[in-house]
Amino acid sequence: MDSIVKLNLFQFSLIYLLLLVILAIMKKSKINKTKLLILASFRMTVQLVLAGLILTYIFKEPHPIFVVLYLLAMIAFSIRRVLSKNKDINRNFKIAISFSLALSGLFILAYFVLVVVGESFFNPQYTIPLAGMIIGNSMTGVTLGMKTFTESLRSQRNRIEALLNLGVTPKKILLPFVNNALETALMPTMNNMLGMGIISLPGMMTGQILSGTEPTTAIMYQIAIMIAICTSVCLTVFCTLHFGYRTLYNERSQIRL
Amino acid sequence: MNVGEEMDHIILETKNLVFQDRIHYKDIQIYKDKVNFIVGSSGTGKSTLLRLFNGTLTPSNGEIRYEGKSIIDINPIELRKEVSLISQSVYLFDTSIKENFEQFYEYRGIKAPDEPQMHKYLQLCQISFPLDKDCTTMSGGERQRVYIAIFLSFLPKVIMLDEPTSALDKENSTKVIQNIIDFCKEKGIVVIIVSHDNQIVERFGENIITIG
Repeated sequence: MDSIVKLNLFQFSLIYLLLLVILAIMKKSKINKTKLLILASFRMTVQLVLAGLILTYIFKEPHPIFVVLYLLAMIAFSIRRVLSKNKDINRNFKIAISFSLALSGLFILAYFVLVVVGESFFNPQYTIPLAGMIIGNSMTGVTLGMKTFTESLRSQRNRIEALLNLGVTPKKILLPFVNNALETALMPTMNNMLGMGIISLPGMMTGQILSGTEPTTAIMYQIAIMIAICTSVCLTVFCTLHFGYRTLYNERSQIRL
Repeated sequence: MNVGEEMDHIILETKNLVFQDRIHYKDIQIYKDKVNFIVGSSGTGKSTLLRLFNGTLTPSNGEIRYEGKSIIDINPIELRKEVSLISQSVYLFDTSIKENFEQFYEYRGIKAPDEPQMHKYLQLCQISFPLDKDCTTMSGGERQRVYIAIFLSFLPKVIMLDEPTSALDKENSTKVIQNIIDFCKEKGIVVIIVSHDNQIVERFGENIITIG
């Protein structure tokens, strides 16, 4: 297979022209988000250039400490991002989110790299990109799960109050909300799996094919990563909500939302 | 009635009760064989008092005794099954009346009453709809009465109604309160009602507690 065409800076900069299309549509539709688009594109460029430089260095000088630091940074940023969208929840719920994101992601990542691929956990070529996909998707899943959970609790205050007054345990009252939020959080990943290969050729597979990998190998990796992502999303959201909802009531069976 | 006899008639009482250092209650006694009304202007802590009674709120100071025992020593879930609060904020599932009965009973882990029993409780609350009537199509007052009927059907030891007639017209209010009081007296259920309606308080109140 042909190896990938290396982009020079001029070719690369041409892609930014496409942003003009979005700007034009935004202007026409009176969507006041042009600043956000420019900021998002700029931040993405800077962040990816930095990541590229760091990864180049790590691949040249592989050392376990770099992999560990990179993973820690990824986990820390993903936790920070989820918590920034859930400022009103109690401290113990935040701890539940943090541990669930970190431990579920690392567990699935370790299984993928050590058991499935059979590589060292500290091989940056495997661990770092796979961690990005697994932790990133788990972060999105938890954000969606928490959004559904907190919104439904807020909109169903009367139901919670009625059942509490009737002598129903907080566990029995809150579990349907937990299960509903978990289902909602899993839907995007599962819908993505349904359409994969027909509606879209996913990012990782496209990247591997562009860089000259055999499509069969690329497909196997893609299937493996999708199952890993789905499991990680499920496990992270499950742990977050199951440890989290217990922080909403006390030993007197009083619910504090 | 001497002190000992009076104690026998008290089911709930408070001592130096304070909530969040904001509401200081005078000492209150709720009697088993009287229709207890709680009155007072808005914001004086009437609804909060009912929530303190069923343990969904905890006082910052003082004590509440239920049947002579501090409620701190009673399992809160068991307490709420016995001291049932019908709050102002009505909640019904978006299903039929019958399915509402069934869903609430399922949450409590017991079998729902049969259809004639359901009708009996609905009649008490002046509701004569068929059981398959969809609750989403009812008025606020009708929903409130179905809600009360469902809570009554659990036959608690104490029933606390927070503004039970807030969404009802005068005629319906009087009938519903009369029916509930008659039913509770017959079954030995203690009634505590928070109400703003002076006519109802004057007509039915036997132990009127003014707060604030």
